[in-house]
Amino acid sequence: MIRIEDLHKIYPMGDVEVKALDGVDLEIAKEEFIGIMGPSGSGKTTLLHMLGILDHPTTGKIRIDGIDIGTLTDYEKTMFRLYKLGYVFQDYALVPDLTVSENVCLPAMLRYDRTATEYIAATRGILQDIGLWERKDHLPRELSGGQQQRVAIARAIVNHPDILFADEPCANLDTENSRMVLNLFKKINEETGQTIVMVSHEDWHKEYFERIIRLRDGKIVKEMG
Amino acid sequence: MGKKELKVAFLLSLRSLQRGSRSSTLMTVLIVSLCFTNMIFLPGLFNGIGQSITKQVVDYEVSNVLITPRPGDQYITDLSATLDLINRMPGVERATPHYTKAATLKYGDRMLGVGVRAIVPSDEKYVSPLYTTMIAGNYLGDGDTGEVIIGKSVAGDPSIRQEDEFQPSLGGVRVGDSITIEYGNGYISDYQVKGIYATGWSESDNTVYVTMSDMEIVEGKVLDRADYITVKAKPGYSEKFIKDELQSYGVAEEVQTTADLLSKSMGRALQSFAIINMVSLIVSIIITTVVLFVVITIKTLSSRKQIGILKAIGVDKEVIMHTYGFQVIILAIFGILLGILMTSLLALYMSVNPVVTPEWSASLYLTPRDIITNSLILLGAAIVAGYIPAWRIAREDIQKSMRS
Repeated sequence: MIRIEDLHKIYPMGDVEVKALDGVDLEIAKEEFIGIMGPSGSGKTTLLHMLGILDHPTTGKIRIDGIDIGTLTDYEKTMFRLYKLGYVFQDYALVPDLTVSENVCLPAMLRYDRTATEYIAATRGILQDIGLWERKDHLPRELSGGQQQRVAIARAIVNHPDILFADEPCANLDTENSRMVLNLFKKINEETGQTIVMVSHEDWHKEYFERIIRLRDGKIVKEMG
Repeated sequence: MGKKELKVAFLLSLRSLQRGSRSSTLMTVLIVSLCFTNMIFLPGLFNGIGQSITKQVVDYEVSNVLITPRPGDQYITDLSATLDLINRMPGVERATPHYTKAATLKYGDRMLGVGVRAIVPSDEKYVSPLYTTMIAGNYLGDGDTGEVIIGKSVAGDPSIRQEDEFQPSLGGVRVGDSITIEYGNGYISDYQVKGIYATGWSESDNTVYVTMSDMEIVEGKVLDRADYITVKAKPGYSEKFIKDELQSYGVAEEVQTTADLLSKSMGRALQSFAIINMVSLIVSIIITTVVLFVVITIKTLSSRKQIGILKAIGVDKEVIMHTYGFQVIILAIFGILLGILMTSLLALYMSVNPVVTPEWSASLYLTPRDIITNSLILLGAAIVAGYIPAWRIAREDIQKSMRS
């Protein structure tokens, strides 16, 4: 499903260059639940952003479903993200002026293969699944951190993306809420066969991952499956 | 850019305005409305002044068409035949002659130089609403002799001392008082003041009216001549039509419509008004553009991370650009509507309390065309001001936006 070859990402920092990724090769199969782990500054988020087409590599190739991402135009990348990928961010990243239900159905509203009836039904179904249907008309600021992150997950999966990317989704949550979120990811992965790529630095999260990619200094140092 | 994208952009912009900072939204709408009011107020006032002057010139000076002597001639001669000819022409309500003679008025120890204007009172009623402006006494009758009607400015106010007067007057003449008129030809006679009028038109209020019969006594002969003839058009007939008819019927005198006269006499004033209007318009547009530019720039800069997130989840940059563009359009529309309301209230107030000067009185004169034109100009400026920062921020790299 995802294949990356000799991926390099170099950030210029004044007169010096920082190698965020230094020759990463990786393959991710459909329906896998992958954890990317490693210490701070190891390149976890950079790798996730490359895989999620949120950033472009300095050198190297990324193929998703056989498509060379480097050959896509800006607009094609946007549409690729809309139709194929879903994202969950560390700080939830919900639109503060939209209600819970508006936030969830926002990406679906833009898709031409979804009618209003379909995306309204999908939003209702997901919010019922995650136990937030009763709070559908609330604004993000009226929810707890755990609830906001569940809304962010709902938004990410409303379009049934091929791959779900999560960048430290539990970083701002307590253990109870973190477990709730991770259980939700596990359920989605098992029940719908959703491919999930998640960045984490919490050791206890690894019990949820099928495979773990460990990074250090921009290189994969260990793969555990 | 399809319907779905526009729908999402509109939803995002609407929600941002509904649930964002209300004070900022209200302040922006208020500023746009004040700019709109500023754009439309001065031209409206100048138009009001122009309309007021035009109406007074038509009512008390030249009517719809003015006939003056041929170049080189002092008077229109063969007056009876000329009036008969004009009054029989299609489209002419009535033609009436005027004959003015310089004179000195004496009342007590006051002396005042004025023009005494001779009219045919019954004909004048068709042409001028002078008879409706009597504030004391009565209007003249055709056969009246030894009687005059005088303007309020000529009569004066007895409560104002002579040295405090804005313009010289007879110091408080009342109906029934006798004043002495000494004409330029040496003829002197006492006249009883039959009425006092106030038209609000300075030129007219500084005049004394007598009948043609009285002026014949002054001149010592039957008057078959006039300084000028004013012609009132029947409803539905244009001034141009009357002018063309007069010329085609062989009226050899100088024939001019009100528009001809105003373009000559007020052309320069109207040009000055146009320049002031243009300056006012440009200043208002600049203020609106800058305000909306700043508002949207601040909004976009403070939402950079959110914009990055939206792009990350698959929202196209054009949708993001239109989100801010629509916000500006909505703010501008509400600002313009509030501006129209404020201007209408001002117009209503000024129709009750017009700006009055010794020369004219004016209220706000607004036409739907003025309102629509200014609204579109302001909306155009607002769109430019909103879309530039939105376009700049929307094309920013996702990583750069998300890291901000």
